[in-house]
Formats: sequence, C-alpha cells, structure tokens
Amino acid sequence: MMWRLICFFLLFSSAVVSQNKPLLFNVDDLPQTLMSNPGAQINFTGHIGIPLFSQIHLSAGSTGADLYDIFADDGTNINTRIQETMRNMNSRDYFAVNQQWEILSLGWKLDRKNYLSTGIYQEVDVFAYFPKDPAVLTNEGNSNYLNEPFYFDDVSFTGEILTVYHLGINHKFDKRLTVGARAKLYSGIFNAESTGNTGRFTTYTTPGGRNVYRHEVVDLDVLINTSGFAPLKDEEGMTVEQATAELLSRSFFGGNVGFGLDLGLSYILDEQFILSGSVQDLGAVFQRKEVENYRYFGAYETSGLEPLFPDLDENDEAIPYWDIFEDEIDRNLRDETTNQSYTTWRPIKANFAMEYGFGPAFLPCHYLSVKKVRYMNLLGMQLSGVKRPKGFVYALTAYWDRKINENQRFKIAYSLDDYSLTNIGLMYTRTFNKFNVYLAANNLLGFPNLAKAHSASIQLGMQLIFNK
Amino acid sequence: MKFHSFFLIKFRALIVVSCLFLSCAKDIDLSQRENISLTPDLQIDLLIYDIDQSQFNDPTTGNLKTRISDTVRLEFLDDDYIQNDLSSVDFYFRHINTFPREIVSKIRFLSESNVEQFTVNYTIQPGATGNPITTEENELIEEGRVDLVRRSIKMVVELEVQPGTTAFEGELDFASKGFFSFEF
Repeated sequence: MMWRLICFFLLFSSAVVSQNKPLLFNVDDLPQTLMSNPGAQINFTGHIGIPLFSQIHLSAGSTGADLYDIFADDGTNINTRIQETMRNMNSRDYFAVNQQWEILSLGWKLDRKNYLSTGIYQEVDVFAYFPKDPAVLTNEGNSNYLNEPFYFDDVSFTGEILTVYHLGINHKFDKRLTVGARAKLYSGIFNAESTGNTGRFTTYTTPGGRNVYRHEVVDLDVLINTSGFAPLKDEEGMTVEQATAELLSRSFFGGNVGFGLDLGLSYILDEQFILSGSVQDLGAVFQRKEVENYRYFGAYETSGLEPLFPDLDENDEAIPYWDIFEDEIDRNLRDETTNQSYTTWRPIKANFAMEYGFGPAFLPCHYLSVKKVRYMNLLGMQLSGVKRPKGFVYALTAYWDRKINENQRFKIAYSLDDYSLTNIGLMYTRTFNKFNVYLAANNLLGFPNLAKAHSASIQLGMQLIFNK
Repeated sequence: MKFHSFFLIKFRALIVVSCLFLSCAKDIDLSQRENISLTPDLQIDLLIYDIDQSQFNDPTTGNLKTRISDTVRLEFLDDDYIQNDLSSVDFYFRHINTFPREIVSKIRFLSESNVEQFTVNYTIQPGATGNPITTEENELIEEGRVDLVRRSIKMVVELEVQPGTTAFEGELDFASKGFFSFEF
C-alpha cells in the first residue's frame, strides 16, 4: 500500500510540478508553511505576525541571460554581447519577478483538530517570455533573416499587482491525514497581459517575382489586455512617485475583484515517511474596472508601390500612391482599442514533497498539540511547479531539514530548475521565547556575484509564535 | 523596551545581510548602458512596374511618346527613424528589357519643394522578345550624404526611349529596393 501511494505520488508529481518558495514548505515551526500548504503538519498553537514584517519575499530570475552577459567589463563591445546573448536565447527563456509582502498575519488553534489562519498580503508578479523574433527584428533587422519568419507568437507576458485577503483552515483529520484549505479574495491593483498571440512577418526573396522581395504579414492577432493602466497613461507628466501612490491607493478594495482557493494535505505513510502536497491560487481575477484592450490584427503582403505612368498635364496632381498604400494597409492591418472586461487566471502553483524523518524529538506537552512524532532531521524531495502561459515551470528540490534544538532550525536545499544546476538554498529560523525570526535565501552560490547569477530569492520575516 | 530594542537590532541585522547580498555584483560596468544601440539593417522594397509599348503611346496623336515619367511620394522618408537614426542606404534598381532599343532611366529624389537631392541615371540595355536583358544599378548613400535621403520625399521615375529604326515593341520590368541601415 505504501509503495503504491509513493508510485502514484511520483507519477502525479512528474506531471504537475514546479517552484515557489521551497525553503518554507513543510517547515512546521513557521506559520508561513500554511501559505504554501494549508494542509501542512504544524507545530504551534497560535501566531501573530509583526505587521508589515512577517514576510518579505523577493525573487527574480532570468533563464537566458544574466547581467554579466550584457555588462561584462571585459573590453568587448556591449552591442556585440547583446546580439550574441539574444541569439543564444530562445522564445521559451523567461524573466520572472515575484514579490510578496505580508501586511497582516495571524492564526490560532480552534480546538485539538483545527487551526484557523488569516491575513493580508500584497503581491507583484511579472513573468515575460523573451520575445525573441520581435527583439531580433528590432535589433538586427530583416536583412540577415530573408525567408525566415519572425513570429509574433513570441510575445507573451503577464504582470499583476494585487492585494490578497485570505482565511484558511488546517484540519487534522486523523492520526495520519491533515488537510487544509484557504479561501482568497483578490483585489487587483494593476494587470497587463498578452498571451496566445499569433502572426508572422517574413521577407521572401522572389527570383522571377515582381520585385526583389515580398514582405508578408500573415495571421496577425496580438492582444494586450490592461486594467488599472489607463488612468496612469492619461495623466501626462505623472512621476514614478505619483504613479506608485496612485497604485497604492487602490490597494484596499480599490480595484478588480477575484476569488481563489488553496488546497493541501499531508499524510503520514508510516512513522517516518510523510507525503505532502498542495495547490495554490486556484482562482481568477475579474478585470472590470479601468480596462483597456489593444488589439492588432490582419494580414497583408506587398512588393512595393507601382507607378502607372498616367498621361498628366503639368498642372495635374500626381496619383497619391502613398495614400492609397496607407489606406490599404489600414484596411488590412488593423488596430483597435476597446474596454472589454476580461478574466485572468492566477498562476497556479503545485507542490509535492516526500520526507523521511530520523532522530526522534519530543514536543512540549500541550493539550492542543496532537502531533505525536517529531524528528530532529528530515530528508526530503520536493517537486514544485508554477503554471505560466506556455506551460508549467518546474523545480526539483532535495533538502535536509535539521532541528538544532527547540528554538533553532535550518534547512539546506539543492534545487534543479530552469535557472541553474547549482541552486543551493539555506533557511534559518530562531525563536526567542515567543519571538521568531527567519531568513531564507536561494541560489547562495550566486550571491557573491549576482551579476553572474541567473536568479536570486530571499524571504525574511518575524512574528510571535505560540506553542503552549 | 527590551523587546523593542531586540526587534530593531534583529531587523537591522536582516536588512544589512540582505543589502550585503544584493550589493554583490562584480566584473560588470553598468555605465556601458550609454553605449547600447540598436543597429537594424532593413531590406525594403520600393517601386515596381511592368510596362509595354502601350504605355509609350501618345493618346492624342497615336505616336510614340519617347519620354514618360511618374512621381511617387515616399512619406516614410519623413519619419523620425529616418530623420534621426538612418546611417546609410544602398539603393538597388533593376530593369529587365525586351524592347529592342536603349532606354535612359533617370531616378530622381526630390524634396517637398521639388528641389533635386540626388539622381541616379543609367542606360537600360536593349533586349529582344525572348531575350530579355537585365540592367542593374546600385547607389550607395553613406553617412556623409545621408542628409540627401532625409531631405527627400518624392521619387521620380523617368524613362526616355532612344532613337532607333526597329519597331518599338516589348516589355520593361522594373524592380527596386533599399538596404537601410540604422543606428538607434
């Protein structure tokens, strides 16, 4: 039975996995573990986050290029380096920035089986695939790429700023199974997205044709949806500070509303093996306010303008070939700005982990604590994934979670992800009486020289944690 | 008070650690951003025509009209990217001729006030039906003369049939393109 469950887990997790905040996943001392798995096993009876400081999370990454690739101080020409870097990247390379800032966080045990947690956090999430073909066309032109299509499909990005209000319940179902759910109310501040675009531009050589080349745009359909952008655009001369103030003023129920759900569970296979899994942000934001959509669509081909040599007197006006050409383009390659509401799905995150514990520890006795077994060491494997426009972004993490004593704990992790093969992360948490601080950082080998790092991530925070 | 000072010390320590991490970017020179430029090379078709002897027929007299011309405005030459960022243009003109006579081609670029900026003149070699002859011409306008392109807005194509005794029958195909180099 146990191996069947493990096989099922591995099969399922290989299909739906990736990367979020692996260092805080399954850390049963920290309330933040409930944010990545509402069904996590937890080891506290209450918590109150220090407002604005209970979690500050920053992560940024680029799979195709780092700062050194572009700005290397090696005497070579920067434009040559940019060209080489762009050529080495492909349209599945991406740039990602995620920031979460916990404003309020608190939770408490309702009874022996149920833990209620709630809070507010603000999130910025930007994810953009490298628009290789449009970028190469802009940087190099079409001359070296005759008969090769430039695909507008490469334009794919999402960006959002939102405030999240959440309420979650963690329920100890029985000795083995803990389940949890978290309801989320999203208040969207800003959104911009452009996905599922189509179209290609090609310059064909046409030996035997009417001209040297034929320029062709086929199946163009590019849509950029925005909400919360129009008022910023309309304000001429708005400074960055003013724009930021305007955005922040919408933080509390000022924007577009959405709903979401996190689900999670953990299951003790036997005393030492624990399986856990979660999905986060099963939800959507309904973009209704301050919406502007920009659409570019159509098809057109040309080999040039054709003079007709009309029989004109000196006083006659020449045929307005250019105007006719422009009218034809406007009829065939169209653009429109609309205000149609749209729905954005949140980037779903999935986490699955299997842990093996050894070196038993003993918990402080408390009538609300029902967790019987605890280990000083946990060896684990975690698969995680985030759904992005072109599919899941994956990461596989192996970790050693070590409890030094009742007040200190560290977790060291090695991750394989799109950014690097040498991603080593470290989490350290310490509790002084009831006051807890934690710091976690990924890709430590990259921190000594961030210019050569493809990614960096840090989480830190402080809170009061009660366990008796 | 004790808690407050503890809180401040720990928070400062966290910020210092974070800043230490984030300030570690070595072996790079961000001031190079001022040297970043885009340098696209664009191949752009310009004018085409495909005419036969009927185009040289004077509708009033029915006689051969030895000189015909037409003017096409190239409005894109007035756009910002041409005015500010164009570094050179290599024009290419090609005629494929089956008329059995030489034809002089004059391609003139004029400003808005019809002042000639530059001109490309060449003789199209005679061909024959079933034996088209190709005449090609390039005109490279480099940085020193690129203002001539920037000041142009009209392209005048002019054909002048040279005298001869053979019947003036055939076709004349014209193709043209520009190889525009930019530095943004």
